[in-house]
Amino acid sequence: MIDVVTKKLAFCHLWVAFGAFLLACFMGEYQVLERSGFIPAIESPSVYFASVSTHGVLMAFVLTTFFIMGFGYVVATTSLKQPIWNPQWAWAGFGISSFGTVLAAIPLLTGKASVLYTFYPPIIGHWMFYVGATLLIVGSWLWCVIMIMMMREWKQANPGAPVPLAMFATAGNALLWLWTSAGVALEVLFQLIPMALGWMDTLDPGLARTLFAWTLHPIVYFWLIPAYTAFYVLVPKQAGGYLFSDEIARAAFVVLIVFALPIGFHHLYMDPEQAKGWKLLHGVGTFVVSLPTFITGFSVIASLEIAGRLRGGKGLFGWIGSLPWRNPMVLSVILALLMLILGGFGGLVNASYAMNAMIHNTAWVPGHFHLIFAGTTVIMYFAIAYYLWPIMAGKPLFSKDMALVQLWTWFIGMTILTTPWHVLGLLGQPRRISGVEYNSLLTLAWDPYELAMIFGGLVMLGSACLFVYNLAMTHRSQEVFEGEIEYAEPIHPVTDLPEYLNDFTLWNKVIAGLMALSFGVPILQFFFMKTFGSSAWGF
Amino acid sequence: MKPLSEEEREKILNSPPVGTWALMITVGVGMVVAWLFLYYGVFLPRGAIN
Repeated sequence: MIDVVTKKLAFCHLWVAFGAFLLACFMGEYQVLERSGFIPAIESPSVYFASVSTHGVLMAFVLTTFFIMGFGYVVATTSLKQPIWNPQWAWAGFGISSFGTVLAAIPLLTGKASVLYTFYPPIIGHWMFYVGATLLIVGSWLWCVIMIMMMREWKQANPGAPVPLAMFATAGNALLWLWTSAGVALEVLFQLIPMALGWMDTLDPGLARTLFAWTLHPIVYFWLIPAYTAFYVLVPKQAGGYLFSDEIARAAFVVLIVFALPIGFHHLYMDPEQAKGWKLLHGVGTFVVSLPTFITGFSVIASLEIAGRLRGGKGLFGWIGSLPWRNPMVLSVILALLMLILGGFGGLVNASYAMNAMIHNTAWVPGHFHLIFAGTTVIMYFAIAYYLWPIMAGKPLFSKDMALVQLWTWFIGMTILTTPWHVLGLLGQPRRISGVEYNSLLTLAWDPYELAMIFGGLVMLGSACLFVYNLAMTHRSQEVFEGEIEYAEPIHPVTDLPEYLNDFTLWNKVIAGLMALSFGVPILQFFFMKTFGSSAWGF
Repeated sequence: MKPLSEEEREKILNSPPVGTWALMITVGVGMVVAWLFLYYGVFLPRGAIN
């Protein structure tokens, strides 16, 4: 049973997340329209870049952080069966993050922080953007402390017992986020805020980009882990089966959390400030981190196979048709895995040291990260919301059919949007440009792809509206729903676990060692060699 | 759908997930083939960066 405090906290966090999401979807559709050049009346580079920056911040920082915090509180209280540790801290975290979001929104919406939601100087935004973003992260750190403390207290109260898998993943994600956000926090506190406030005349973009690379890749896994958590602990039960293996799931989370961190230089393959040996090391690590994704894919599909066979499915693939496709959670995981295959392949190309040169800074890159983030990750956020809403609101979901239509249209829209995006990247279209019309035969060849992207975006916008409408209407229902969160049981119950699969103390030390190895010299070099700073560019 | 006997249920729970293996191998091979196509078919023919 979810207690009242957790329900209030979760609803507040999740509504902020989905409110930001809906606003960002409208901006996304405007951007593909503006960029295409088909409607000259809306062409404006300044509005376009303000919109891209706001869209990125709302999606990548606001939707994700608030969703993860809200979902985390529900997981912690229901899986551990204990109240939130220090609810005042939880509300303080919500307040700080919300205030930070509003503070960052002001310069973003007024075009004074059109830095493309990245932290890559010498392009500099208004100080309020950086302070706001910092507060958003600081608020989430309180959530991290609460998650870690709750797991610790539970372990003290239940010595030797396996921590519930859902909480193990959530606490691991909190640890990952503390490590992940440290890089950008250092950059913002010691470089960007002083520069934006005029306290420094120049800064070192090489150091800044290195610190941002620290954050830039593991942040993706911070967003993705709630989706993986749902894969492991919610999907098997909803499909009518069992989790294939609890131990494999834990091992996958550990490898994901440990190896997500020391690999960020694949974002810097084309940068001059790091030597190629370091890039190669990070490149190899990037391929290592694809391993837990394959393990996750295997475990989740095996869990689905068991469910399909228990429901009467026969033959090598007959179980697929026996799955409950009309269950939003099951449909979501199937669509999420399909998008993960396509997006994962794009990621392998990005991570390939040589081939990266072909698609670097092209339209391929946003195509890839939209498929992984807005595809695999966000569709599971939808599934989690559809599952949690009736339980938390005590009212049945307004329309299950609408939910199914919404999930299918999101998937179809995403496919229509991102396939041309990848092709355009291979054709050489740059990313981060406000228009693609250069009156040449080359750019004219891009037009059909642009048209397809506009249509795909429109389908997704409609889907996003359906999603928010469905949730909002659920609150207005007069009917009563009684249900509890049901976590999947593994085929073979876990009674005894080695400590390294039940705790993160060892892994925290391993992360510290790997981070020192992979980022130590690359960061320290900036303090030992003479570099020349850049003055601010932009606002 | 005919309900499963306890024996059938146990057999399913203890059988290796052959369908999953088949899917994973298909996806894995597909990814390798697609990667090789992109490397040898698209990337290398474009030549060196000038």
